[in-house]
Amino acid sequence: MTFISRAQVLSGLVAVLLALLVLELVRRRKLSEEYSVLWLLSMTAVAVAAFATPLLRWVTHAFGILYEASTVFFFGLVFVVLVLLHLSVKLSRLGRDAQVLAQELALLRAELERRPDAAPGPPAS
Amino acid sequence: MSQGQVLVVIPAHDEEESLARTVAEVRAKAPGVDLLVVDDGSTDRTAQVARAAGAPLVSLPVNLGVGAALQTGFRYALAKGYDVAVQLDADGQHDPAYLAPLLRPVLEGQADVAIGSRYVSGRSSYRAPLLRRLGMVFFSWVVRAAAGRRIADTTSGFRAYGRAVMKAGLHDFPKDFPDAPLLIALARRGFRLVEVPVEMRAREAGQSFYTWTRSLYYPYKCLLASVMVLLRRRG
Repeated sequence: MTFISRAQVLSGLVAVLLALLVLELVRRRKLSEEYSVLWLLSMTAVAVAAFATPLLRWVTHAFGILYEASTVFFFGLVFVVLVLLHLSVKLSRLGRDAQVLAQELALLRAELERRPDAAPGPPAS
Repeated sequence: MSQGQVLVVIPAHDEEESLARTVAEVRAKAPGVDLLVVDDGSTDRTAQVARAAGAPLVSLPVNLGVGAALQTGFRYALAKGYDVAVQLDADGQHDPAYLAPLLRPVLEGQADVAIGSRYVSGRSSYRAPLLRRLGMVFFSWVVRAAAGRRIADTTSGFRAYGRAVMKAGLHDFPKDFPDAPLLIALARRGFRLVEVPVEMRAREAGQSFYTWTRSLYYPYKCLLASVMVLLRRRG
């Protein structure tokens, strides 16, 4: 590695800071471990792309990209899109789960209200 | 029809104005059936109106969509041992006088789903706007191409479902628009669908379920879901 540009330092620094933030969020239980995987992978990819200049040159050349920085952006973007897609999948699943829970809750509440001897339900809204 | 055999499920989202009349009409015109109001997270007095009418009520804590509300009725019907569940809209569009002809094919075991259709007979007075009519023709064609069956009225919400269909519907049921994709999925699973001619009335109160923003989302969602049904394996 002959020389490190300021752009490389900047992108590497951002990647490391974001990775630390992700780890800190996991430590504080604000982010569950399963979601941290894709985020950490994308930070690593950005960091590697920023500093492994020969690798970056090779990839840039192999894909016919004109400018090394574009390669970093491209892969960064791909990872971010993957993370978003992953979240949409989780969201769909969450919605389905919430639907079943709401239905079961409504049925149970109706059953409770039907039985006079049962414990009083929540106040009627 | 004997008591405890047929459950009329009335999904109601903000239908305080028409619900009481609908409940009374079902009781008057179809005395042999039980009914259940599924309050789909209404923000108005729908639940109180149902209680005041003495109708069995299941109140969803959040608004889930008409398909999910109907599915809630399926869960109730299966738990209580009903053989057939009928969807009947709270807004007064569906005339309970047609319950008997709608139920007959399902109760007699000739069909698993009976669809109250506006277009089977020529006598229906129902006139939809042009765009809606185009959409109906289009989705009728989609169902025919995908399921090999001609269903003239794919958007009819006046349907009777047999027990086997309810069971199948617990795992996979469109939560918002239970129309063309559902019919295709049911036909591909080998359920027998039949159309029964009915007349529908104009809404008595409230707002149509299909507002104009939905008129854009509806074809997208139904077409995509129909294609997905075809791409999934049968079974």
